[in-house]
Amino acid sequence: MAETRLGRWRRTRRYLPGAVLLAPALVVMTLMFFVPMITSLIYSFGDYSGIGPFTWVGLDNYTEILVDPRFQQAWANTAVFAVITMTVGPLLGLVTALMLNNRIPGRTFFRAVFFVPVTASLVVVSTLWKPLLNERGLLNDVLQLIGLERHDWLSDPSTALVAVSAASIWQGFGFETVVFLAALQTIPADLMESARMDGAGPWQRFLAVTLPSLRPTLLFVFVVGMIGAFQAFDQVYVMTGGGPVGSTTTVVFYLVERFRSLDLGHASAAAYLLVAVLVVISAIQFRIARTR
Amino acid sequence: MKSRHLRIAIGVAVALGSSALAGCAPSTDADADDTVVVWDYYGQSTPLTEAIARFEAANPDITVDHQGFDYDSMQEKFSVAVSSNTGPDLATVDMTWLPDLASKGLLADIGDISGGILNGKPIESQYSAGAYGAMRYDDHTIAALYDFDAYALFYRKDVLDAKGLTVPTTWDELLATSAAMAEDSDGDGKADKYALQLLPDSFHYVQLLLQNGGSVLDSSGGVAFDSDAGIGALEFMNELLTDGGGIYWGPSEGDSSGLPGVKDERIGMFLNGPYMMGVLKDGAAAQSGEWAVAPAPYSKQPGSYLGGTGLVIPTTAKHGSAAWKLAEFLLQPEQQLLVYTEAGAAPATEAALAMPELSATDPYFGEQAPFPVFQDAMATATAFPYVPAWPAIDTALTDAVTAVLIGQASPADALKTAATTAETALNG
Repeated sequence: MAETRLGRWRRTRRYLPGAVLLAPALVVMTLMFFVPMITSLIYSFGDYSGIGPFTWVGLDNYTEILVDPRFQQAWANTAVFAVITMTVGPLLGLVTALMLNNRIPGRTFFRAVFFVPVTASLVVVSTLWKPLLNERGLLNDVLQLIGLERHDWLSDPSTALVAVSAASIWQGFGFETVVFLAALQTIPADLMESARMDGAGPWQRFLAVTLPSLRPTLLFVFVVGMIGAFQAFDQVYVMTGGGPVGSTTTVVFYLVERFRSLDLGHASAAAYLLVAVLVVISAIQFRIARTR
Repeated sequence: MKSRHLRIAIGVAVALGSSALAGCAPSTDADADDTVVVWDYYGQSTPLTEAIARFEAANPDITVDHQGFDYDSMQEKFSVAVSSNTGPDLATVDMTWLPDLASKGLLADIGDISGGILNGKPIESQYSAGAYGAMRYDDHTIAALYDFDAYALFYRKDVLDAKGLTVPTTWDELLATSAAMAEDSDGDGKADKYALQLLPDSFHYVQLLLQNGGSVLDSSGGVAFDSDAGIGALEFMNELLTDGGGIYWGPSEGDSSGLPGVKDERIGMFLNGPYMMGVLKDGAAAQSGEWAVAPAPYSKQPGSYLGGTGLVIPTTAKHGSAAWKLAEFLLQPEQQLLVYTEAGAAPATEAALAMPELSATDPYFGEQAPFPVFQDAMATATAFPYVPAWPAIDTALTDAVTAVLIGQASPADALKTAATTAETALNG
């Protein structure tokens, strides 16, 4: 039987309050997110500075930045940064979480201490780390005390990216610690007890019980961390300005430089290439998590 | 009941939507009156505060909204604001930014606004030829030089005298004097006291390049800095670091002025512009009487990059005529003098440069008159090439100088790489 007009009105009326409540958020999202997203996609196919005419150039911006040595170096730097931070960070977070998951004195205090850097702005953290890594900084004072040579960590292209990564790891691993700690506390105690009764040692229990139970958390940490690593900018901007000799220039730093010089076409193209790579990496990570 | 929920929902939605849209609406304040918006990057010691107060007193019909900006982010903010039609009416900009800003069409032609006249005389007649050339881009006058920057040698006179050394005038003498003046207090083989500050940037390299008879670009606009003169200049810069008592002052030091190094006496000599007179007086007051200024030593000819601060009117200025009126006022000799007295920098117009106050001795510099040294440097200084590709060339040169000074590349190889990058940028 065909729906009567009254029935349609009643059904509409039932959903109308929800739609009306959603409308402001939808308007704001459209203005602040979808419109800029689509606009920048259009910019990526054009020669445009924000002033003057927009000239359609097709895929030229994409092909030009792909052969730009600075962009290639930025990708290499970003990949190294991601590998360092996504290896050391989660590992450090997991080890710390495992330690804090035990009944040790001052456990609550240490949980708070490890989380404090996460609450600090990355700009503040980077500003504090910069003098620490300076040739006359505290790190070198310590190294000298133990008989090692002083080194200007941020001025040497072979160490600058590692130094920036170290600051990032220090700022972020508290978050990973908290996430792992929360996941560890959801592992059923009887599961651990069963493994213990079956004669499994601590290492075997970790491999057979803890690690498999943490798989969804590991996936979450890696996906979120990888996206963050590929968007690294603040720490680079504050600590090295992308130098020395481009050794810490990341993809986001590169595209911000392009935006700063109002080269909106190449900047937008770089941003979309970054999005594409992040989508692929995330898809691979989800696929791996699903198949295992 | 349901219709009540609906009414509440509509009310909430309208309220939220209205507030969101209100936030998006542009302010019309700037259009409503004759307020001239001025963006200024000088910082705390700006000469504009006093000058603008005098201007407002003399011109009660014009109000000036004087806004301070951080130098490091000003270029970016200016570009974005002007391109989105929210820029100022008048702004101070670093002269090295001009090619970038002008090539994007952000700067109005001051010649059109002023009719080519500054305070009753042709603009051209009120600046030196080099300064006037630096204000021009593509046959348009896009800036009025407000203060100039040309490099001279700052040195610790007390240390030089105590060690029985004389002021160097040539590269060879600079190398020898710097080596004799610097000390290695911790025995690590590097100068760390009274050293010559070496900044890895295009400003300092280009100075040596010009002094060695080279140029950044040739007369046809092609890359020329990788010539023998260019390689020689970079080799000399590196020699100053390895054998000449130089101290590498990279970005990790944080403050490119070198003030922390001046205060803790790591730096005893440096090449920089007149604005450093003010920086020293403000930041290292305890070293009053210990510093002096001399012409920069050279190999074949005197030379320096020519820069400074320009007053510009953006293409989107809402009060262009009033902005030019203010600019003319700021460029009067009495107001130009504030550049020297307030900011410790160097005024730029010929009339201001002729003022006797600028030739006065300064107790901070041991009763020396430091300003004429910079005035002489200005006479032989050259502006960076005004090409749209300059930001890319600047980065390439900075990378080349850095690579050499940290021992990562030879001068010839580093400049060859930079030349390739510069050629690509120049070819579009």
